[in-house]
Amino acid sequence: MKFVPVYRPKPSALHSARPGVAASFCASLALVGALYQHPLVLAGALAAIWAAAAGAGVGREVLNALRVALPFALLVTVINPLVYQEGNTLLIRGGEVLGRRFDVTLEATVAGALAGVRVVVIIVALWLMSVAVDPDALLRLFRRVSYRSALTASLATRLVPVLARDATRMSDAARCRPVPPGRLAVARSTLAGALDRSVDLAAALELRGYALAGRPARRRLAWSRHDIRLTTAAVLIVALSVAGRVAGVASVDFYPLLGIDLGPPELVLAVLLMVLAAAPFAGVSARMGVARG
Amino acid sequence: MAEPLVRAEGFTYTYPEATEPGLRDVSLEIEPGTFTVLAGVSGSGKSTLLRAICGLVPHFHGGAATGELSVAGMSVREHGPGDLAAVCGTVLQEPESQVVMGGVMAELELPLEHAGEPPGAVARAVEETALALGVAHLLDRRTDTLSGGELQRVAIAAAMVRRPALLLLDEPTSQLDPVAGDELVWLLRRLNEDWGTAVVMAEHRLERCLPAAGRVIALEESRIACDAPPAEFLSWAADSAPALATPAARLFSQAGLRPLPASVREARAGLRGAALDARRPAAPAPAPASGRPALGVRDAWVEIPEGPVILRGLTLALRPGERVALMGRNGAGKSTLVRLMKGLIEPTRGRVERTGPVALLLQHPGDYLLHEHAGDEVGAEGLAAAGLSGRAEANPRDLSGGERQRLALEVVLEGEPSAAVLLDEPTRGMDRVHKDALAERCGALAHAGAAVVVATHDTEFAATFADRVVLLGQGVTIADASPLEVLGGGWHFSTDVARITDGAALTPDDGAVLLRERLAGAPA
Repeated sequence: MKFVPVYRPKPSALHSARPGVAASFCASLALVGALYQHPLVLAGALAAIWAAAAGAGVGREVLNALRVALPFALLVTVINPLVYQEGNTLLIRGGEVLGRRFDVTLEATVAGALAGVRVVVIIVALWLMSVAVDPDALLRLFRRVSYRSALTASLATRLVPVLARDATRMSDAARCRPVPPGRLAVARSTLAGALDRSVDLAAALELRGYALAGRPARRRLAWSRHDIRLTTAAVLIVALSVAGRVAGVASVDFYPLLGIDLGPPELVLAVLLMVLAAAPFAGVSARMGVARG
Repeated sequence: MAEPLVRAEGFTYTYPEATEPGLRDVSLEIEPGTFTVLAGVSGSGKSTLLRAICGLVPHFHGGAATGELSVAGMSVREHGPGDLAAVCGTVLQEPESQVVMGGVMAELELPLEHAGEPPGAVARAVEETALALGVAHLLDRRTDTLSGGELQRVAIAAAMVRRPALLLLDEPTSQLDPVAGDELVWLLRRLNEDWGTAVVMAEHRLERCLPAAGRVIALEESRIACDAPPAEFLSWAADSAPALATPAARLFSQAGLRPLPASVREARAGLRGAALDARRPAAPAPAPASGRPALGVRDAWVEIPEGPVILRGLTLALRPGERVALMGRNGAGKSTLVRLMKGLIEPTRGRVERTGPVALLLQHPGDYLLHEHAGDEVGAEGLAAAGLSGRAEANPRDLSGGERQRLALEVVLEGEPSAAVLLDEPTRGMDRVHKDALAERCGALAHAGAAVVVATHDTEFAATFADRVVLLGQGVTIADASPLEVLGGGWHFSTDVARITDGAALTPDDGAVLLRERLAGAPA
């Protein structure tokens, strides 16, 4: 289960905030990865996510996300210079395959590496959302839009740990057989078991009145200070990121020659991202999260 | 007399593609505020009747229904489970499949949201239900972190959150340990007595729920065979369906005593009334078996990294032909020990010595069955040993729980003879007929020279099957002696007959011999 993000309630500002706000905060951090390819800004975004994760008490879980994301990043880094032949700085002179030359350039390699880092930023930010935002509460927001789809998604999040446990059990049972069974037989049986469980869950849903379900009523909750802080931070992160992008801050040119701006604006942008991400968790009361009384 | 909550008249139902009806000509009435137990061996129709009352039959399962069955005036042929959920809460057997949301709070809110309740009413109903049913401390928990007992309580709370007049439960304690099972029955009794909720509960371990019940409906071959108060039901069972009689009732019946008791308390009072003292000095413990162990565990430690210590230097030797019941509360280390013996896990310190193959059957026999046909799982000999000679073409998923268990046991026994056979909680959800068959099979394996170890909470089964009981606690052995010594002198780990006879006998057969001696005035 280490490599599957699982939500666990914790007393932190992020966990205590309303789900829409907490999800928006995490999404604003992912947006930085989508908008920028500048190494300093991406490093700032990663540091910002880690600061938020540490503030929410899920630093270790987010480190697990890095283990999942890094192979993807490596893959992008390797594939990009093989696909893009642009760039003037030749690193490796490749051969000719099917009439096409395969050379590896410094520019394409750096572009691939930075694209990989962007992937890491987005995965890690969404991982933070998965481990710190209650999926039931989050999906309840969508139930007003598309009830059945949102409920199906809720069931899927519920089934992930259940099926993981089922798979572990089946693997143990396979080890207990005198002759280990073929993988196909185990896979088929696992699938059949998952289908059986799905039928049981469908019956349980029917018994909870699923057939009568309509659009749930809107809940009106007062805004807590965590909601206000996280919303403010999310709005500022989005505004800063979009404004910087429009203003051309942290621009990167890969081809034909590498050109990466490294000046005060980029440094300020990276530092501001970190400060804004950490700000909602500043102060003892925010770290304690859950209101007393 | 109040208007019946449930009324059935000649209701017959057949599952799709089935050749025989799952329910035949069922006629009954269930009044508000009553506590009814459904009894019957596996496959007798208990679950089908409950699924019919809650509307899953025929709306979810399909099939053909004739006759009439109505709940609070709504015919189940016209109204599905969604409509009936307003008056009828339902909890099925498997706790893991009863809970549909990731969080406990969301689970309790879901039925109310389905019913279109406004947020304020949802919040209040969740709060009240959680407090009333003792799950308020679980509201912030994720459902995948709950124990089986906690999950089942949450499932009951979700079924009750709309305050239905009727609660249906299909073997709700079958997957729970005895403590969690007793707590659940206590909770149901409270629901029935304090809030007037009518309870209809299918259960194999009748001794657990008969004291709470006002009525027992026994099903045989999909028909109602007996519909009576507990005392009358026990008299009927003693004569017509011994497999359904409780240990206390069997004890009295075999000793020729009447009336048959519905509880241990009634049995003790009955003995006092007859001026019978069942006590006698305990038999001496059998001498420990000698010879080379079939399987030995020496000073074994299992320490979870960044977690608890499960086994603390445990030492245990199992001789060929021994039948050992491994007992202890949840978390005592039983399952870890059998996994260690098999080699599924390695000790962090100490060692395990095996003189031959070790067979292990874990808690879910279905996990062992991978093929489309039972005949593909084991050879003809294995099928015969499982009592499934005529069912080689059957899909293992279509077999009953007991049949699956027997087949899975033969799967792990295939190949050369095992030096030791280990079974982890094999009697969960099993009726007495299947338990007796399992005890017989284990006896045959021991007779063939294997050391047989059964990790179990089931004291009645341990008393029937074992010649040695090992009690674990905190990862060490806290008792290791004959069943009479451990279970006869136990407080929690004790059989009903031992409680009635103050530990002089463990099983109804032995207890009845003792009582007959007393009745005849013969010396002990």
